[in-house]
Amino acid sequence: MGRKMKDVLAKSIIYLATGITLCVLLFIVGFIFVKGISLVNWDFLTRDYNEKVFYAFVQEEVVPMTIDAASLSQKDPYDKRYESSLEGPIYIENIGAAIAKVAYKNNATEKEQFVFSYIEKDSPLLSAIDSTGKKLSIGTDYILESINGTDFEGLSLEDVAAQINHETGELKIKVVQPGGGVRSNIITTLYMVLVSLLIALPLGIFGAIYLTEYAKPGRLVNIIRFAAECLAGIPSIIFGLFGMAFFVVALKFQISLLSGSLTVAIILLPVIIRSTEEALKTVPTAFREGSLALGATKLQTIFKVVLPCAVPGIATAVLLSIGRVVGESAALLLTAGTVAQIPGTLFSPGSTLTVQAYYVAKEEGNIELACAIGIVIIVIVIVLNILSRITSDKLNVFNKK
Amino acid sequence: MNKKIKFNAKNLDLYYGDFQALKSINLEICEKEVTAFIGPSGCGKSTFLRCLNRMNDLIDSVKIEGEIIFEGQDINGDIDVINLRTRVGMVFQKPNPFPMSIYENIAYGPKCQGVKDKTQLDTLVKESLVKAALWEEVKDRLNKSALGLSGGQQQRLCIARAIAMQPEVILMDEPTSALDPIATAKIEDLMSKLKKDYTIIIVTHSMQQAGRISDKTAFFLMGEVVEFNETPVIFTNPADKRTEDYITGRFG
Repeated sequence: MGRKMKDVLAKSIIYLATGITLCVLLFIVGFIFVKGISLVNWDFLTRDYNEKVFYAFVQEEVVPMTIDAASLSQKDPYDKRYESSLEGPIYIENIGAAIAKVAYKNNATEKEQFVFSYIEKDSPLLSAIDSTGKKLSIGTDYILESINGTDFEGLSLEDVAAQINHETGELKIKVVQPGGGVRSNIITTLYMVLVSLLIALPLGIFGAIYLTEYAKPGRLVNIIRFAAECLAGIPSIIFGLFGMAFFVVALKFQISLLSGSLTVAIILLPVIIRSTEEALKTVPTAFREGSLALGATKLQTIFKVVLPCAVPGIATAVLLSIGRVVGESAALLLTAGTVAQIPGTLFSPGSTLTVQAYYVAKEEGNIELACAIGIVIIVIVIVLNILSRITSDKLNVFNKK
Repeated sequence: MNKKIKFNAKNLDLYYGDFQALKSINLEICEKEVTAFIGPSGCGKSTFLRCLNRMNDLIDSVKIEGEIIFEGQDINGDIDVINLRTRVGMVFQKPNPFPMSIYENIAYGPKCQGVKDKTQLDTLVKESLVKAALWEEVKDRLNKSALGLSGGQQQRLCIARAIAMQPEVILMDEPTSALDPIATAKIEDLMSKLKKDYTIIIVTHSMQQAGRISDKTAFFLMGEVVEFNETPVIFTNPADKRTEDYITGRFG
């Protein structure tokens, strides 16, 4: 075989490998987007996973319909969560809104519910308040359950419409805000990123400073480095088990944001130490000598000259860490729980997006929803990456000329 | 010739691990003069210079024996190294301004000593830059990064930075070896002005430079001081054959 042939062969293998990698990547991202994108909308992002039940107090007021019947029936509030409209919609004048009877798509019991399908601009529903006088927002696809104590269960749409029309004065309506959103998961994820970085960054940076600036090269440093490298290679479920045994049980932190953050912080430490160490090593010795020759102490030299120079490297560490936290699921499943709620304190549980994706895919078999969550995760990772890149550019002392 | 002696090295030996880099150095360096150290690469001149402000402390394997008396005190003994370094400033071979603004570079040393007063710092920065003949060139861009300056300007900035500490001695380790002839001329010019106020010790590879600017010259070879005398004497009438050989370019 000639040299030319070998070259062509090697080249084609290289191109093929690159192509396959690219295709796989595109396929995965594409799959997630195609499967999940239909579920991603504003409501999905801003609603909690669990339904929210509340009583709305509404002053009855007759509002005529301003659109014709044909366009009313085309209003589609069902938001993919419902199979289809079973009956209706019917416009009810004294609350200025149309309701329809629908069945829940993913609900095993196929419960039939009444939802608002259209709300007029002047509808009294828009100025609804709760029992303490706080303003409530009611939107289309919210579920009606009762009015002034009359439960709608088992009634037909006409009966419900007649019932509502019959009431006068102040109406007390039991409304359910549909769940299925990921707001709590997004916020839990951001909390988790924040708290774990707050714990791991100082530890990691100071550890790296010790290793590069203070420690005399020798056995101890090698052991620390070896340990850090080993930590980086251990699967996160092991950290999860440790976190569960130590933080959750032994320290009695419960399954909580704190336990999760501490566990993830341990996972992050090796990454942060390694990247910071590399960053500190690239700071020229000339800067250190220059600073010391000016009568600065070692500590002043490290904090005023060496660390600012290492900012880009530390930013890389932060980037990698954010990716790790957002992507972590096994360890958090065991330490932060699967409760889809916003953790009120450090000691309350909450599920991050990845854990939630696992939960809905595994426990509910809802692949579409898991993919929709996947899209949110991808977007969050991209946004956080861009943000930290911008801050690192802003802080990079070598960029300013 | 009754100048006060600033540094007095007595039987100074220095080892890098097992390697003896300085062999029983005896030197007296006078105040407010330019003293030049010349010699081939690896002869120990930079190493000796770095002994004078204890920069060799940064290297773990270094072991020093003998004395260097500075203002009546042995600096190898139990002294405050930070204090020594504020009194003995240093300029390095490659310009090493910190990646900060020009102003911050000059104010760095005083700030580390706890000077916080803004007006005091402002005056100090201006005075230092004027003394280093850099003020006119940078007065409009004090808040710009020092990395934007040319090599020669950067080196003068480093000199200004050392001056801002109001030292007694300025050590210069081949300060012009990374610069072009014009920048070199400016720095040499600066040195002859500065010697009125400061004791200057310079390591140089260029014999012409030593001849032009120094009052006294020490010739180092293999870790020993072969000859130390008034510069004109060294260059015109060296006592040692090896000095003559080096100066006339027979080796080096």
